[in-house]
Amino acid sequence: MNNTPTPTHTPAPPLVNLSRRHFLGASGALVLGACLPAAANPRAAGAPFQPNLFLALAPDGGVRITAHRSEMGQGVRTALAQIIADELDADWAQVRVTQAPGDAKYGDQNTDGSRSITVNYDRLRAAGASARLMLRQAAAARWGVAVEEVRAADHQVTHVASGRTAGYGELAAAAAELPVPDEAPLKAVGEHRYIGKAMTHVDAADIVRGKGEFGADVSLPNMVTAVVVRCPWLGGGVKRIVNPPPEDTPGLVAIETLDPAPSAGPQFAPLGGVAVVAEDTHQALRTARSLRVEWTESPNSEFGSEALRAALRERLNEPGNRVPGAERGDVDAAFQGDGEVLSAIYETPFLAHAPMEPPVAVADVSVAEKRCAVRAPLQDPQAARGLVARHLGYPLANVAVTPTLLGGAFGRKSKPDFALEAVELSRRLGRPVRVQWSRQDDIRHDYFHAASAQLHRAVIDEGGLPQAWLQRTAFPSITTVFAAAAAAPAPWELEMGFSNLPYAVPNRRMESSGLRAGVRIGWLRSVCNIFHAFSANVFADEMAAAAGRDPIEHRLAMLPKEGKLAVPGMQPPAGHELDVGRMRAVIERVRGLSEWQRPRPAGVGLGFAVHHSFRSYVATVLEATVADGRPRVTNAYMVLDCGTYVNEDTCRAQMEGAVVFGLSLALHGEIEMRDGGVAQSNFNDYPMLRMSEAPPTQVALMPAQGRLPAGVGEPGVPPVAPALVNALFAATGKRHRSLPVRV
Amino acid sequence: MSIELNVNGEAVTAEVAPDTPLLWVLRDHLALTGTKYGCGEGLCGACTVHVDGSPARACQLPVSTLGGKRVSTIEALEARHPELIEVWVEKNVAQCGYCQSGQLMSAAALLDAKARPTDADIDAALAGNICRCGTYVRIRSAIHEAAARRDGGAS
Repeated sequence: MNNTPTPTHTPAPPLVNLSRRHFLGASGALVLGACLPAAANPRAAGAPFQPNLFLALAPDGGVRITAHRSEMGQGVRTALAQIIADELDADWAQVRVTQAPGDAKYGDQNTDGSRSITVNYDRLRAAGASARLMLRQAAAARWGVAVEEVRAADHQVTHVASGRTAGYGELAAAAAELPVPDEAPLKAVGEHRYIGKAMTHVDAADIVRGKGEFGADVSLPNMVTAVVVRCPWLGGGVKRIVNPPPEDTPGLVAIETLDPAPSAGPQFAPLGGVAVVAEDTHQALRTARSLRVEWTESPNSEFGSEALRAALRERLNEPGNRVPGAERGDVDAAFQGDGEVLSAIYETPFLAHAPMEPPVAVADVSVAEKRCAVRAPLQDPQAARGLVARHLGYPLANVAVTPTLLGGAFGRKSKPDFALEAVELSRRLGRPVRVQWSRQDDIRHDYFHAASAQLHRAVIDEGGLPQAWLQRTAFPSITTVFAAAAAAPAPWELEMGFSNLPYAVPNRRMESSGLRAGVRIGWLRSVCNIFHAFSANVFADEMAAAAGRDPIEHRLAMLPKEGKLAVPGMQPPAGHELDVGRMRAVIERVRGLSEWQRPRPAGVGLGFAVHHSFRSYVATVLEATVADGRPRVTNAYMVLDCGTYVNEDTCRAQMEGAVVFGLSLALHGEIEMRDGGVAQSNFNDYPMLRMSEAPPTQVALMPAQGRLPAGVGEPGVPPVAPALVNALFAATGKRHRSLPVRV
Repeated sequence: MSIELNVNGEAVTAEVAPDTPLLWVLRDHLALTGTKYGCGEGLCGACTVHVDGSPARACQLPVSTLGGKRVSTIEALEARHPELIEVWVEKNVAQCGYCQSGQLMSAAALLDAKARPTDADIDAALAGNICRCGTYVRIRSAIHEAAARRDGGAS
């Protein structure tokens, strides 16, 4: 761990007053939204040097870096600061990070899809580098020397020949008078002092003292707390409150009925229901628990998982929509030959996100002034701001939405339905409102990860290699949340581990089917990769087993020797093609890391899986056994190739966490719908992996080699569940084809 | 009603219903928000505090049962267990951080009871603390390191 002092988290203050400044357009690829032109007015004494949106340097040398992406444990606030501070060559002890509100001036803020670094790396390096150049220019001007003669490092500028120095802070005022350069030199890879290093998270010091500010920690004068009783099924409205609480119920402030969300295509609309508003959280929770409500029916009030499972299996019996770009050869002809045919069906259930912090939001609406401020754990404060403004009919400029720390999110907090509840209640009550979801609310009213089924059928040769491979996938699409008519999986969902499999197969066909489920479908950490990586990796293991072949040898044989596949993914920057060579390399590395060839005791098995997602490559080996009738993972090995990485330790932490997240879903995760509602309610019946189940985990990172930075938060999850199932097969000879695993 | 409590060594008073769980007294009435709500049913450990030195789930403790007892929260942990705070930061244990107050309070109670806990001790003492981000392996290693520092020996 890097021992440099840890900057502390300062809860979002307002941005520095830029009123004196003009806005220049973007110059080239470098987005410099709030730039200082040559000043017409004298500068206010003590004003900071703020050459762009992301950093401000004060005359005392303090550097404030603005994080425009949301922190949910993936370390993004630290990583963004590392990038800027590195190119600025700032002293890390002088760096403070503040959180940006949702505002289009920052560009995309949707903290999602493991792409914060991918899409911000270059522009934040440029932001730091241009400031460093301006400090050098300011010093050179002061000393009357050429800018080439001065260097900037470690928070000071030095004139090399004379040895004169000036601290960054001393130069701030002069630098602020200079035009922002179109281009500034970037450091060479070997010169990086923060990028690529293990650094302590900027929020760690506050978190361990109970001072990190999460959503529910926001408190405003005169604020009340609301707990909403929601209809068990999507689209149901309030018919009648059976037992309205007496008006003298202690602490009760109001009972408010909220309109139901559309029963199909609900997008981010609040679900509606009955809001119990009280002076404190306990009073709101207690009254809400005691409330009995009759609900109107909706098309979803009969929905159940069992019928959905049957429908998904039926879809696998019939041809689906073909993925044209993925077809090769003639699969039907190959199946009529006399080669050995292997066929299997895999099934995965609905899952809830269950971040440790249930959804919560604080809103303060002033109807008179047409203003609204929201503080909440939101992955996309900018989109939330737009929705809040639209809901209220207020000008966007009058709406402020600022993320707190997110107590876990995993995709759940991309959807601001809970913030819109707080906004509506604050509008009605004319005072600040905190909406607190209970854990039961969270698990029962999620945007669920889709249940799915896959068929794999292959003709294999004596080496277990597929000569023909038919794959069908069926699941309710995320797009059903956005359009009432949608049903078919979107191309981007199929590109998550289905249509982009890199294996060499002479005859291949891929088909997909969608259907509507009676619940809101959402994206959960690694999304459709979860079930696609599961089925493909387990089926590959079955092919190897059928041929009596080592699974890793077999997999390497299935892959082309080299080559790149274009992977049209979520906002894919150029250069992120799937590189088969990199996939082979992580496989080779995990084979070594896990000592794959070392014999394990009887009853202990090794399972392997590999997956490419979010532009990264992860190979996993799990060592597992069955003890006392329960699967037990005794060791985990993860190899990550995410190209250039910013915080080495965060990458390791994300792989460690992915093992736990993947094992939680593989061993325990199942949401069951009955009569339109969710059968589970809390961690007793929707369990998470606990300390005693967490395996020792070794992580290896592939060298960055100057490659483009790729995703880290999600790619570790997909290979975990299949590696577990493959390990249990190696340990026991029993093949599990559905999740969660039941031994 | 008015309830008197001893929290982090100070006598405090809260105007709350007697059935109010300690968790909400701390959070809503005493502005001690380091103790977190995670499940409300004593299943996740995010609200772990110490009552008379023993770990307890604040969401399950009606405040009326706490008269004369000493409540200690994450906000006061550093004074008693600086080594835990220090190691937790050094090892970058926290990811999102929401469960970490509870993890730390359980870890502190374990170290109070046993200076050099084994892995099995840690598994048992922290069995009630869920971390959805999956920081368990680091927590285990941090407790061993903190124990070594507290004990004055090498890890």
